[in-house]
Amino acid sequence: MSEEITPELFARLVELAALELTPEEAEYLRRELNRQLDAIHQLEATPIPEGTPITSHGVPYPRERRAPLRDDRWQPYPNRDALLAQAPETDPEGYVVVPDIPHETLE
Amino acid sequence: MDYEPVIGLEVHAELQTRSKMFCACPVVDLTTAEPNTAVCEVCAAMPGTLPVINERAVDYALRVALALECQIRPVSVFARKNYFYPDLPKGYQISQYELPLAQHGRLWIRTSQGERAVRVRRVHLEEDTGKLTHVQKDGQAYSLVDLNRAGVPLLEIVSEPDMHSVEEVRAYATGLRQLLRYLGVNSGDMEKGVIRFEANVSVRPKGSDRLGTRVEIKNLNSFRALEESVAYEIQRQIAVLEAGGQVEQQTLGWDEARRRTVPQRSKEEAHDYRYFPEPDLPPLQVDEDWLARVRAELPELPHARYRRMRAQYGLSDYEADLLTAEKAVADYFEAVAARAQAQGVPVKTVVNWVTGELFALLNRHGRAADDIPVPAEHLADLLALLHKGALNKQAAQKVLAAMFTQGGTPEALMDALGLRQVSDAGQIQAWVDEVLAAHPAEVQKYLAGKESVLNWLFGQVMRRARGRANPQVVRQALKDALERRRAEP
Amino acid sequence: MTELWQLSALDIARLVRRGEVSAREVTQAVLDHIARVDGAPGRLLEPGQDPAAVHAAEPGVHAFITLTADRALAQADAVDAALARGEDPGPLAGVPFTVKDIFTVEGTPSTAGSRILANFVAPYTATAVARLEQAGAVMLGKVNLDEFTFGSSNESSAFQPSPRNPWDLNRVPGGSSGGSAAAVAAYEGALSVGTDTAGSIRQPAAFCGVVGLKPTYGRVSRYGLIAFASSMDTPGPLTRTAADAALALQIMAGADPHDATAVTLPVPDYLAELEKGVRGLRIGLSPDYFRITRVDPATGEWHTEEVRPEIRAAVEAVAQALADLGAEIVPDVPMPHTRDAIPAYFVISRVEAASNLHRYDGVKYGYRTPDPVADLREMYRKTRGQGFGLQPKLRILMGMYVSAAQYSERYYERALRVRTLIRRDFEAIFDPQGPYRLDALLAPPTPTPAFPVGAVYGDSVLMQYADQLTVAANHAGVPAIAIPAGFDGQGLPLAAQFFAPEFREDILLRLAHAFEQATADAAWRARRPGIVG
Repeated sequence: MSEEITPELFARLVELAALELTPEEAEYLRRELNRQLDAIHQLEATPIPEGTPITSHGVPYPRERRAPLRDDRWQPYPNRDALLAQAPETDPEGYVVVPDIPHETLE
Repeated sequence: MDYEPVIGLEVHAELQTRSKMFCACPVVDLTTAEPNTAVCEVCAAMPGTLPVINERAVDYALRVALALECQIRPVSVFARKNYFYPDLPKGYQISQYELPLAQHGRLWIRTSQGERAVRVRRVHLEEDTGKLTHVQKDGQAYSLVDLNRAGVPLLEIVSEPDMHSVEEVRAYATGLRQLLRYLGVNSGDMEKGVIRFEANVSVRPKGSDRLGTRVEIKNLNSFRALEESVAYEIQRQIAVLEAGGQVEQQTLGWDEARRRTVPQRSKEEAHDYRYFPEPDLPPLQVDEDWLARVRAELPELPHARYRRMRAQYGLSDYEADLLTAEKAVADYFEAVAARAQAQGVPVKTVVNWVTGELFALLNRHGRAADDIPVPAEHLADLLALLHKGALNKQAAQKVLAAMFTQGGTPEALMDALGLRQVSDAGQIQAWVDEVLAAHPAEVQKYLAGKESVLNWLFGQVMRRARGRANPQVVRQALKDALERRRAEP
Repeated sequence: MTELWQLSALDIARLVRRGEVSAREVTQAVLDHIARVDGAPGRLLEPGQDPAAVHAAEPGVHAFITLTADRALAQADAVDAALARGEDPGPLAGVPFTVKDIFTVEGTPSTAGSRILANFVAPYTATAVARLEQAGAVMLGKVNLDEFTFGSSNESSAFQPSPRNPWDLNRVPGGSSGGSAAAVAAYEGALSVGTDTAGSIRQPAAFCGVVGLKPTYGRVSRYGLIAFASSMDTPGPLTRTAADAALALQIMAGADPHDATAVTLPVPDYLAELEKGVRGLRIGLSPDYFRITRVDPATGEWHTEEVRPEIRAAVEAVAQALADLGAEIVPDVPMPHTRDAIPAYFVISRVEAASNLHRYDGVKYGYRTPDPVADLREMYRKTRGQGFGLQPKLRILMGMYVSAAQYSERYYERALRVRTLIRRDFEAIFDPQGPYRLDALLAPPTPTPAFPVGAVYGDSVLMQYADQLTVAANHAGVPAIAIPAGFDGQGLPLAAQFFAPEFREDILLRLAHAFEQATADAAWRARRPGIVG
């Protein structure tokens, strides 16, 4: 098994992903990432003809099957309270509340 | 050593559609709407929800792109820009990255150095974020999230690093705002945050064609902040270089209170947004028909209008600038000019009255330039009366002020204000006699059958009466006097 | 005598519409049956609580996370009331169905099998589900799945015990639509709405001996489907018969103003298409679909493993039966990029998944850590660390890595180009001017029958390779179907799979239906899972 995902790189990915992991989880995840990368490297054995485009959508969208864009019409949302009720913390004015954001104070 | 600043601008402009970019929530005035009232399952990023593109937002974006003489991509691709922040409900912003809607445009600017084009690198569509308010209360720090703005269509317009002075930056920024307003896609209300700037600034020895290390100044929400921060940053960088130091590549903010740039902590430690094509949206296809339709609906653009009006009305650069700064003013001016000119008023008079008396009134009453309460035809008629001598200048000023504050036709207001002209037969007869005595050649022409001279003579009488003579009485007295002369040998 | 809970969707709708049985009677019969066979529903366990012990205490299929019996009966009553008023109650009148808990249904918990959404109640219903309900179908509840659909066995669900295979309760039902396949196989509803991102409808259908249809990408709206890999996720039906799949797709398919990727092509009359038979259809067989090929990481050499002989035999028997009906079998069709499908999927699906999972941050809905936190970042880390299970974490981290700016070209973009090659494999064999001119490709859906609980779980690579024979259809967007094709020596279901050109679900359904009719009298067709009785 390769060590493409070193502990340092792994730590950076975990930070980017905003995940707090137990040591057991971290060990499992780093091992599996490296094993999956071994499988992924198989792609390098596949010759790709020059100029092969990417496929990033499920199917092509020629005009005859493409959905129209949305008309610019607004409508009030009927379930606003149900929507806000899902938030873990709100204030009486209707704001969603989150813990302090690390930010620069401009004095 | 002489240094040359190199400046590029990124402008974010909200597109003032009725509904948001990807959902049917209304676009509301953030300064007045209650928090989280223009929110639905889509813009709150509830699981399973999907974006659907607002056609009018694309329409508006195309207007701007065409007005900036951009090349429009027949197929552009939305991409996800990924980062965590509570004002970004999905944890990614739907934007455009590798294949933007439009590229390679330009905006004409005018400075003391003359006219030139600033190249526009790209124009792309994206969605706005929500708004955060940081709170310190009872020793507790927390933040409030309002998603009313989340998902409002946003146009990003990126210039090439083509500007070399604060003056050019100002000309570009105001020119772009003017263009957006002409196109009817953005109100230009800076204080409502509908246009925001980011500036890239570097300096290099004059004559060098290498780019210096550039810094980004973010979150500039007024022209003043833009100009002051760029000016500050140019001086700061020159000072660093002069002292033998090196400019550090960084992201800065503008400290309004202390008038200086300050380093900003970035939203994420690493600036890697991991862009990838948005799988929830098929590529955006803009065909020739669509482009032709948008092109046909484009108004005359500010720079073209500036040039045309300058030539057509013989305006000075300054007057042309004043009269074309706002589409509404230009439209108004041309409407007044057309009607007034038809009544023989010289265009110079129209220019002077619009840029002088009318603008002064707008200023005095704190009204916006697109909010002129006097109908164009009323002003034109007033100027015609003035020109005919039916009214003197002072009286006309009073009438205009009255039209501005209370409305009404110039004729009616003249009456109401007692500015009506003299009707006394004896006085009018005296004026007529004076005029006829002064212009024997014209009298002879009239008597020889050239009746149109009557109007000219009438104008002379009115002029002599300084506009206050009753035209009907004058006309009758004039005719009678002339006929009497015909009867006399 | 046939019990009401045994009936197909088509039969139930026919009887209810004719007034021969009421929707309430059918619904009640199925609810009673569920009470007999399902055992403990999946739930969030206390720390230290062992899922196996919960299963042992209350054995059963454990298909459900949320059973909505009252809601179902109310819907059934509404159907009956409509009938009583002389109104048309819809083509699915009274048909009880279940919904994979990856779809939102207004007013019911929509958990995605994850702690992070355990308390989430959506204020909107997924389009596919809403259409079934509007057609008169009766939703029984939400069934279990792999967490966020990330798996092929259902063992990764945060809601335990996870579903078991009705044919052998010690085996997995497959995944990620395991609850759906298990429910349909155990007669807990006539149909279930699942999703297929790499094989998540077809693999569990194969493991549980039911019909599983993955439509063309864009055929069915994804609105309300909690996203995994948005460019591949496809909602589709799991049923016991091809005709029921046709009926369900008929209702689910079609454009949706809420989903820009749902196409506007007209929806054919699939039930009518069923009767067209298979005479003259050209059916291909590819050697690339009878083996699992991968590079051995230790040696760097290609390593090939044949599918189980019983599976090969079952698929060949299907080919023979269709040939007997007049279809033309075309052997040795090359599908050279089949072996690239899993590695490409490892990259593309992770990039999309990592992004799709960004929104679970403890701000707007779902789980938020109860622990004290110093600031927002810590709230994010703890919420996501505690809310997500291992499989989402693994996908997030891989997605972060392979889409990072400095690695994206090597991994992500390369995978998207390989995806084009995979799609070209299909285009080539279905090209009406090409050398093969196929109407469909016949292949096994899985290299093995259902594996025992615990046998593969934890090995994320081996688990993923369970999808090698199915995932290419998701890369290419083409439709595919898994159908029952007999049993192995241990009494486990065997299955066959067809692929068709994009938007030709009609061909898949014709083939499935023809094979079903041809084998209607075969002894294996009469088998039922022991637990069903």
